[in-house]
This record gives sequence, structure tokens and C-alpha cells, in this order.
Amino acid sequence: MTAMTTLQWARLSDRLFDAAVLTYLVAMVGYAIYLGFRTNAAWAAARAVTVVGLGMHLTSIVARTVAAGRVPWGNMWEFSSLLAFLVVLGYLVIVEGVYKVRTLGAFPLIFSAVTMGVARIFGFYVAPGPLVPALNSYWLKIHVLAAIVGSSLYALGGGVLTILYLVKAAAERREAAALGSRPVPPVMGASQDLADPPHFVAGADDPVGETTARRRRGVLPPSAVLDRMAYRTIAVGFPIWTFAVIAGAVWAQEAWGRYWGWDPKETWAFITWVIYAGYLHARATSGWKGTRAAVVALVGFVSLLVTYYAVNLFIVSLHGYAK
Amino acid sequence: MSTSAPVRARMTPRQSLALVWRTLRSMRTALILLFLLAMASVVGSLIPQIPNSPERAASYQVEHPFWGGFFRRAGFFDVFGSWWFALIATLLFVSLVACLLPRTRAHLRTIRQPPVQARELDAFPQYAQRRVSAQPDMAIALSQKLLRRKLFRVQRAPGALAAEKGIAREFGSLLFHWAFLLILVGAVYGKGTGFTGRTAIVEGEAWTDARANYDGQIRTGRFFSGDFSGTQVGLLDFADSYRRTGQPMDFVSRIELADAQGNPLGHTDVRVNHPAEVNGVRIFQYGYGWAPVITIRDGDRVLFDGPVIFTQDPAPEGVGQLALPWRGVVKLPSLDPQVGLEVILWPDFYAYLRFQATGQPVPMTEAHDPFITIQAYRGSLTSPSLSGLETATMTTWEDAFVGQGQTKELGEDGNGGMLTVSFPELRQYSVFQVSRDRGVWIVLVAAILILLGLMPALYTSRRKVWVRAKPDGDATLLRVGGLALQRKEQFEEEFAKLVDELARVCGEPVAVEPERAGAR
Ligand code: HEM
Repeated sequence: MTAMTTLQWARLSDRLFDAAVLTYLVAMVGYAIYLGFRTNAAWAAARAVTVVGLGMHLTSIVARTVAAGRVPWGNMWEFSSLLAFLVVLGYLVIVEGVYKVRTLGAFPLIFSAVTMGVARIFGFYVAPGPLVPALNSYWLKIHVLAAIVGSSLYALGGGVLTILYLVKAAAERREAAALGSRPVPPVMGASQDLADPPHFVAGADDPVGETTARRRRGVLPPSAVLDRMAYRTIAVGFPIWTFAVIAGAVWAQEAWGRYWGWDPKETWAFITWVIYAGYLHARATSGWKGTRAAVVALVGFVSLLVTYYAVNLFIVSLHGYAK
Repeated sequence: MSTSAPVRARMTPRQSLALVWRTLRSMRTALILLFLLAMASVVGSLIPQIPNSPERAASYQVEHPFWGGFFRRAGFFDVFGSWWFALIATLLFVSLVACLLPRTRAHLRTIRQPPVQARELDAFPQYAQRRVSAQPDMAIALSQKLLRRKLFRVQRAPGALAAEKGIAREFGSLLFHWAFLLILVGAVYGKGTGFTGRTAIVEGEAWTDARANYDGQIRTGRFFSGDFSGTQVGLLDFADSYRRTGQPMDFVSRIELADAQGNPLGHTDVRVNHPAEVNGVRIFQYGYGWAPVITIRDGDRVLFDGPVIFTQDPAPEGVGQLALPWRGVVKLPSLDPQVGLEVILWPDFYAYLRFQATGQPVPMTEAHDPFITIQAYRGSLTSPSLSGLETATMTTWEDAFVGQGQTKELGEDGNGGMLTVSFPELRQYSVFQVSRDRGVWIVLVAAILILLGLMPALYTSRRKVWVRAKPDGDATLLRVGGLALQRKEQFEEEFAKLVDELARVCGEPVAVEPERAGAR
């Protein structure tokens, strides 16, 4: 067997990228079926397909690393791929792993598939190659990695889970209004709401009976659970994002002789940081808990998208990863 | 931290001041100010900023006269240097100090004060009781040991314990907030007392760090005292390397340093991302270019001799910057009439030929038989700058083509002498950004403190536990109460485990009394 050439590695990476998108879409259907009909087999299959997709995706990223001979986060194509990968991984670890919530798989998968699809359709693709000298820095590599990890947690917590929270909280308010009672405010840490997430179906030995299972069809987890997952995910993301901004400043100091220059990319990273700092405060401020804080988190997610897409594509910036 | 105070019709100045202070102290105010800061930053990122891109800011005003004028008056072209941005930032920091002072005082009190005994244990959200075999005093002593081992701070009273854990949360939060303040201090100090400038040095030449030598390309801080270091920087050589695609691989300037007295300080390499530092001044690789050595003689008299720094026009869309020729200017003010030369350099003759043949621009990454073309003008030299040539007031004169190593005649000087142009050598120059910022270390330390403070602030929680022991027949009744200020759901589990452990160390439960165990 002869060693693979750079070109072959690159081609392998591209094929697996596309295959991973398709696999995620298939898994998404499985999760949607589980959410809609609570068929355990659908969940088991969706999860297995997701894991296969993640495996292909990881292989794609590794092949890209081999082809380029450097870390796989040097341009927007690679950034998109890694972000999508981490969102799916983060979902499996945080939502299914820590919180044992299984009904939400379709949503992070949509996010990742769209992220990868946008990268394909809008031509972010560049052939794997070395970095230009300005980008070839130890600090930059750390900075970008931290930014991607932070982004993935914001996308999951501030984007996907927060949107679900807002949808569910609105539904709960409607329900409560229909019942004529005031809704229970989703107070963080109130002990009644998480000890045993009511929608949690503990594996194959499903304790939820036939009728209950039918009643749960299409129902999202309680808003308190969604709120807590969103908060915890953002709380993990925030110091990582903070570190990313700091590492970026260290790099800017090395490369340009100033740690901060209000370049659009820096400015938007700062805006995103400020909004999530605002979110953490909002949660600790009476009258801002719940929906209002969630809206702040969602604004932070939009700001993240601007930081990531708009600044690279539409605004003149020193941080030119786009091309 | 509520802001609303009953405002009566009239307030004494003292009361109004107290109201302002209370408003500033509130988290809601800080929240609003934070969002204002974010909004201002959005404006600053969407509208071209003068400090970052002066040309785009200028052309915007030409293209959009109405909005341009409005934006200019509002300071939108320099958001981060505008008075209102400074005002928001100042208010935010005053607000931050206002809320940090009482919080810090309260926290110091908490640290100094031992945990307080509780009156009613069973009024707490977590409560449990167990019968254990150890005597009350012994049970308290054993419980104290266990809680200490679990890093609780414990205060003992007869038959009772008060314990608490997780002060790190508030400590971290305070550290974080103070460090945020420290960043501003470091930034204002560093930028205020420092400077940033740019200079070009040609291979084989030396340059001294002094205001005049920046040629106007310098910005100094408000409190800058003019204390340039006088450091001498000599460029030994510059090397750039490229891949076949024309993508740059590396830029290195080998420099020789000497202090203000001329004592050598050694050699070093400056490359992208690897600045040199000397006497608190940092030298960054910023740019590079070609500097042909041009000699102009009038008969035997040398009128001009030396390297000339050539620059490029910005490349049009779709053309690589390196495919463009380089431009420079030579002025001969001593002649009458005066003469100015517009010089164009093609570093790579073969790339030039290919471009002429195919119409396709070819990047010129290395010098191969370079040549210059000269367009001379006669008249009076009006442009004061070194590199500018105002040709409107001059008349077109001779032109010439000079390859490297050649000497060509340009034309008669007006007194019967002959002007000749030589191009003996092609050198490169390096553009360095030179800056001094003494506040960098403060900012870096503050940034590290921010990260250190964030961890406990986000991931720990403060919780309190109380234990009482009293005789209960032939055994002891151990009563435990618990309260978590954050992360209540996690504490429930922790509390249940803790009670089990307490009961175990105090002797296995004699008989569990389930009546009030567990969460309420
Ligand atoms: C009047 C001013 C301020 C007050 C009263 C205040 C108060 C607080 C409080 C009480 C917390 C803890 C929240 C919790 O327990 O979850 C907190 C957290 C936080 N604050 Fe502030 N803050 C102020 C200003 C600021 C400013 C200007 C920033 C920076 C932009 C900031 C950034 C943060 C961040 C990132 C956190 C989350 C980390 C932590 O819990 O320490 N705060 N703030």
C-alpha cells in the first residue's frame, strides 16, 4: 500500500464532509420522529447515526489536517466544519450526557447541517494549504481554537437551547393562561423542577407508561430544564470566549504591536462578550430572569453570527480568514 | 440591589446625591450601560473609523454628504475616541466602583466573621435528623472534623456547629470585577504615556528612535513626555520568501541594535509575529518594499545618490499586489529650472515581458534584471513632502529606461552640462512599527485575574450547614440544616450525602427517624 498524497487526503476530507452533512440530516429525521412519537427505536437509531456522522466528520477534519500539514482551523471553511462538529459533540455530551434529555437532537443537527451547507453553498471552500505568515502564530492557533469552542457553546446554549426555551416558555404561559392560573416562574435552582426531569425516559426500561408516552408526543422538556441547560452551556462558554478574546489580544500585541485596536472583528468579539456578560447579570437581576434574560442570550447568538460571518464577509477587517 | 426609592416632591441636594449614587450602584444601571457600550461599538464597527481606515472614512463623507456630515458631527467616524464613548465608559466604571465598594466591604466582613449559629434548624430548605451512637459532644467533634476535611469553615458552640463553604464564589466575582477596572487603568496608563509610529529602513542604513525620524507617522499618548529612547536600529538585510503560488511564506529583517550612546546591543531577527524589544520599545515587522539606489550626476558633480523608497498603488480587484510595478520620486531642487523625476521600478524583467506578451499580471517576488523607467519634469518643485511630486506646475521633459548597472543620459541641464542617471543596485527596505506601551503588563495581569476570578464565580456556590446534637434516650439526636445560596438543586444531593456521612462518622444510625428527613 502506498502512502496517500496530499491531494488524496484533501479529497477524502471533502467527501467525508459531505457524507457527514447527509448523515446528520438522516439523524435529524430520526430525532424528529422521536420527538413527535416517542418511539424509542427512533431515538436509538438517530443517536447511532449521529455518532457515525461525528466519526466521519472527525475523520474529515483529521484528513484535512494531514493534507494541510497544520492545525485544521486556518480559514472559514475549516472554522465552519469544526464549529458544526463541536455543536453536535456538545449536544451529545451536555444535553444527552449530563442532562439526559433526548428529545432535542434534531435542533443542534439542523444548526450544524446548515452551517456546513452554508460553507459549501457560499463557497468558503479553499484547498488545504499552509498559513500566511501573519496567521502562523502559536497564539493565533490558541485564540482561534478557543473562539471556535466558545462559539460552539454559545451556538448550542445561546442559540439552539435558548430558542427552544423561548418557544416552550411561551407555550407554558399559554397553557397556564388556559388553566387560569399564573405560570410558575422558571426560577433557576428551584429544587422542584430538576430532581427528576419529568420527560426523562430512562433508556430501554422506559418507566413511562403507554398513555403517558402518548400524551408526551411532540412535547419539549419543561422550560425550567431548557433554561438550566442553556445557562450552564453559556456559563461554560463564557470563560472560554473570554480566554479567546484575551489570546487574540496577546496575538495582536505580537503581530501588530497593539493588543486592542477596535478592528471590526475585535469590536464584534467584544460586543458578543458584553452581551453575554449582560446575560449573566440579567439572570441575577430581579425582573430580568426568564424570558428577558433569554432574549439577551439570543441577541448574543445573533452577535456571534455577525462576528463570525458578517465581519469576515462584508466588513473590511485585518482578520481576513475568509479568503 | 434595587434602585427604586420613594422620590418625594422635593429632595435635599444630599438626598439627590444619594439617589444618584444608589442608581449608579444598581446592577440594572450597569446592565444598561453595558448595552449602550455594545451599541456604540456596533456603530464603530459599521461606519469606517478614522484611526483604522482614514481613506474609507473620507470617501464615505464624499459619497454620502448628508449622512457623512451628520456622522462627522456626532463623532461616528471615531466612535472609540468620542466624548460620548468616554462618557459611557466612565459612567460604567463609576457604576462598577460604586457597586464594588459595598460588595467588597461586605465580603471582607464575611471573611472575617465566623459562620453564625442558627436558631431554628428545621426552618431551612434542607433539614434532616438522625439518631447516632456517639455522645453529643463527641458527635459535634466528629462532625466538625468531617466538615473541616470537606473544606467547610466551621464555628463551634456548645452542642452546635455552624459551617459554610464557597466564599470563593463572591471572592472570584469581586476579583473579576476589580480586574476589569484594572484593565482600564492599564490601558489608559499605557496608551497615555506611550506612542506608536512607523518607519521605513533601507538595507544597510540605520535609524534612530526620535520624533523627527518618524516623518509624521506617529501617534503619541496624551501624557507622553517626549522621552524617545534614542535607540539606533540598523537594517542588515531583509529577506522575504514565497511559495510558487505567490503566497508569502516568511518575512525576516535582520537588525543591529545600539543604544543612544552608540553602544552595540547585538543583532536580532524581526519577523511577523516575532517583534524585537529593546529599552521598552518594541519593533514589529510591518511591511517591506524595494529601494533602488539611484545616482544622478551633472557632468561629474553628484546631485543625488542613495536608495529611494518605492511604494505601490493599491492593487485593483483580482490583481495580486506583487504584480504591480513600484513607484518613487527623486527631486533635484538645486537645478534651475528645478527637476523632478517620477520613477517606475519593475523588479523582474521577465515578469514584465510576460505581462506585456499575455496581458496577465505576473507576481514579482524576486528581483531578476530589474529596471527603472523615468519620466522627468521641469519647473518648480512645490510639494513639500519627500515622496510627493506635484506635476501640474511643471512641464514634461525627458524620459529614460535604465537597467540595473546601467547609466543613461537624461538630458541637458540648461548650462550645457549633461544629466546622467545610474541604477547601480537594488535594495529592499523594511517598514517597522515601533511602539511603547508600559501598561501592557498591567493589562495582561488584569486579564489573567479576570479568568482566574471567573472560574469560582461561575462554577462554585455558597452553602451553609448547621449541626446540632442532643441526648435522645440512650443515643444522640443529630439534627442537620442546610442552605444553598446558588445551585440549589445540586446542593440537595450534596446535603443528603453529607447527612449520611455525618451519621456514619458519629456511629451508624441507631434508628433512622424518617419523619422530617429530606427536602421540603
Ligand atoms: C454596577 C455594576 C455591577 C454590579 C452591581 C455587578 C454585579 C454583579 C453580580 C452580583 C454578579 C454575580 C452574579 C451571580 O451571582 O450570578 C456579577 C457577575 C458578573 N459581572 Fe457584574 N456587576 C457590575 C458591573 C459589571 C461590569 C461593568 C462587567 C463587565 C463588563 C461585569 C461583568 C460581570 C460578569 C462577566 C459576571 C459573571 C461572572 C460572575 O459571576 O462574577 N459586571 N456582577
